[in-house]
Amino acid sequence: MDILYAIIPPRVLSQILVGLSRTTILFIVSSGLSLILGVLRIPNIAHGSLYMIGAFMAYSLSIFFGGGDLGFWMALIGAPLGVAIVSLVAERGLFQYLYEREHLMLLLLTFAFSLVFGDLVKIVWGTEYKSVPVPQMFQGFVNLFGGLPFPLYNLFLLIVGPIVAVALWFIVNKTKIGKIARAAAVDREMVGAVGINVSWVFAIVFVIGCLLAGLGGVLVAPTVSVTLGMDHTLIMEAFLIVIMGGLGNIWGALLGALIFGLAQSLGILIWSQFGIIFPYAAVIIVLLFRPTGLLRATW
Amino acid sequence: MAQGRIRGKAQLSVYAGLIVLFLLPLILQRFYIYLLSTILLTGLLATSLNLVLGYGGKFQFHHAVFYGVGAYATALMLTKTSLSPWLSFIVGPLVSGFLSLVMGLICIRLSKLYFGMLQISLGSLVWIIVYRWYSFTGGDDGIHGIALPDIISSPNGAYYFTLIVTAACLFVMYMIIKSPFGSVLQGIRDNPIRSEMIGINVRRHQLLALVIAGFFAGVAGSLFVVVDNTVFPDMLFWTFSLEILIMCLLGGWFTFLGPMLGAAIIIALRTFVSTYTSYWALVLGILMVLVIFFLPNGVLGYIEEKIKKGFIEPVIEE
Amino acid sequence: MLEVKSLTKSFDGFKAVNNANLDVQKGEIVAVIGPNGAGKTTLFNLITGILRPDSGTVHFKGENITGLPPYEICRKRISRSFQVVNIFPRLTVFENVQISILSRERRSWDLFTPSSKLAVEETDRILENVGLTKKRDRMTALLSHGDRKVLEIAMALGGNPEFLILDEPTAGMAPEETSRCIELVKGLSEKLGLTILFCEHDMEIVFGIADRIMVMVRGATIVQGSCDEVRCNEAVQDAYLGGSDVCLM
Repeated sequence: MDILYAIIPPRVLSQILVGLSRTTILFIVSSGLSLILGVLRIPNIAHGSLYMIGAFMAYSLSIFFGGGDLGFWMALIGAPLGVAIVSLVAERGLFQYLYEREHLMLLLLTFAFSLVFGDLVKIVWGTEYKSVPVPQMFQGFVNLFGGLPFPLYNLFLLIVGPIVAVALWFIVNKTKIGKIARAAAVDREMVGAVGINVSWVFAIVFVIGCLLAGLGGVLVAPTVSVTLGMDHTLIMEAFLIVIMGGLGNIWGALLGALIFGLAQSLGILIWSQFGIIFPYAAVIIVLLFRPTGLLRATW
Repeated sequence: MAQGRIRGKAQLSVYAGLIVLFLLPLILQRFYIYLLSTILLTGLLATSLNLVLGYGGKFQFHHAVFYGVGAYATALMLTKTSLSPWLSFIVGPLVSGFLSLVMGLICIRLSKLYFGMLQISLGSLVWIIVYRWYSFTGGDDGIHGIALPDIISSPNGAYYFTLIVTAACLFVMYMIIKSPFGSVLQGIRDNPIRSEMIGINVRRHQLLALVIAGFFAGVAGSLFVVVDNTVFPDMLFWTFSLEILIMCLLGGWFTFLGPMLGAAIIIALRTFVSTYTSYWALVLGILMVLVIFFLPNGVLGYIEEKIKKGFIEPVIEE
Repeated sequence: MLEVKSLTKSFDGFKAVNNANLDVQKGEIVAVIGPNGAGKTTLFNLITGILRPDSGTVHFKGENITGLPPYEICRKRISRSFQVVNIFPRLTVFENVQISILSRERRSWDLFTPSSKLAVEETDRILENVGLTKKRDRMTALLSHGDRKVLEIAMALGGNPEFLILDEPTAGMAPEETSRCIELVKGLSEKLGLTILFCEHDMEIVFGIADRIMVMVRGATIVQGSCDEVRCNEAVQDAYLGGSDVCLM
């Protein structure tokens, strides 16, 4: 352990771990965004709102089930499902009629949705800050690498991240719906021509993507104060991650989230006042050298 | 010719509109004069965006940066230096234009969505600096109570200054759009590859368009300082950029005066709605959805279509 | 005038153009023919700078123009039309041609002169030449396919070219439009003395107007020569007819 600390000071190491748990949230949300961008070609700004709605739903569910561990687990299951239902309604009601429109229109439409969702959240949950308690079983710290205190909940996040990544990989690569979706991303008409109901495949992909936004919202809820406006920061970060990783590429989203999360947490160590500059600078540097992102984009 | 007649009428109504705008302070209350000034300068901002968006075909997603930077540059010069205040109204736009050049040089190689996203990224960087650099920009408080030359410090003075500058800027932008450069820019929008093939250096033309648009956004920013005597970081937050995009779309982004109309509709509506409810965003969102579904060419685009249909015989191929 | 030597271009390992050679003398009409996917359009894209070749050279009037960007190549007075209609759909017929002329005159950086007063005569003359005068003020998006193809040529003429490249000028045209188009191309060569390089699927047209023919198969030049030489060349027959003994046409 001493050797490890000699190479990387504990302060840096713990900041790296914090960065990695942040990466988990960023990855979960931006992989959903990337999925929707890759298959449906929608730059979905409302994705951030769904993340926020997920967090607020987590708050309500956790209160409803008594605020304890049960509340957390119910929220973890219930809130993403709730978000999925909201997104299904939006997709079937409006989005499905607009797939052929220009990107600019879609961008503005989803922005309109984010405005509407923002105010609906205000109507339902009010403007006060909400907090979701960390479940009992994840309270406290573990000592990593012999002595480095690390919040248990963050450790939990570090485990959830890879699980989601694997699940997503499985859905995209091994299931029928994933295969159809990947084919539809390349050639929509061809998939329609072989008799598959593309419209519903798109709906399912959209809902899975949004569900991930909701999941991100639930997972982040115990670590931050749940508040209006949390959608605006996150959606920007998620977009940059997706762009950096390569549009529509889920592994790109993982790579992008890693770079972004680590640049964010380490940046603060280097220059606390302007530490927030580093992740943005990372995006700019990446795009200067690889104008279409790190990994192959599906566009 | 029919089209000549339409153009004559349009010109006449622009002059009439200008005269009315000049006379309005005689009858309107202070608050409405202030509102009108805000509409004019926001309309100028939206028109400058449309120069690269509607006419240039570039996804300029973060136009508010140039507006905000122009405003901050003007405000900082007014508060921190003893140079002539009038100079600051020139420096502000120039700083915006220069920033636009720098950001343009970085982004221009990218196409479509990537261009827009890299621009948002760079713009967010500027926003963070403005937001965090307390000692220089005042951080999230911004700068308030900026002193102005006497002649433009009254509401009417600010209004006339805004009106004259806006009208002059719109005139110049109109000239640019009707110039060979404007034609070429529209050609590039329609078909960049073909443009290269008829001998046009596409990137350099687009870059100049970006700089021009940035400059005029800076002018709008300076006017905001005149009208509101204040600057704050939200002026260059990305959500505001999308609001300007909405104004262009609502008014009609393939028309010259559409963005001005869009700005007028949205600002007037916001003022009106805000007196009844705090859910303005909800109203705007629903309005947007309706426009996208039913008026994809915007209000003015729709009207233009109707007029053209009335005058020009339907095109049937022999 | 134009000399293409062992030009090669591959996409993801697929050799779209593989050792193409071409020679065009001043005042000639040269046709490039070959089965679908032979790399004709790619060859034109390489000559005009839209794509950069992997290897090989393109010389124009003795000057090496390999890999120059399209706008530089256009300024050497090489113009082209495209196979898939490639015009400015939101502008009028007049404006489409006018932009091309303004660009040639290097007026595109002029910010303050109304363009409605510039290059009017020349634009109208070109429209007259190609027979689009009646449709002068129409939005090009509303033109018929044949008119759009003709507009393509008119835009290319706006660059006042010495050397004109036409990528399937008559593709998709109705029969009477086709014959009009062929007359137009012939006229350009005879009246304006343009050197023309074109590709075309219709053999009747090719043999009707070309002075010489270059045959491409799978990206490579297999023969270049006069119509008669090409017509009875065995390799060409192999490529086109699967080795039967009949001469083409």
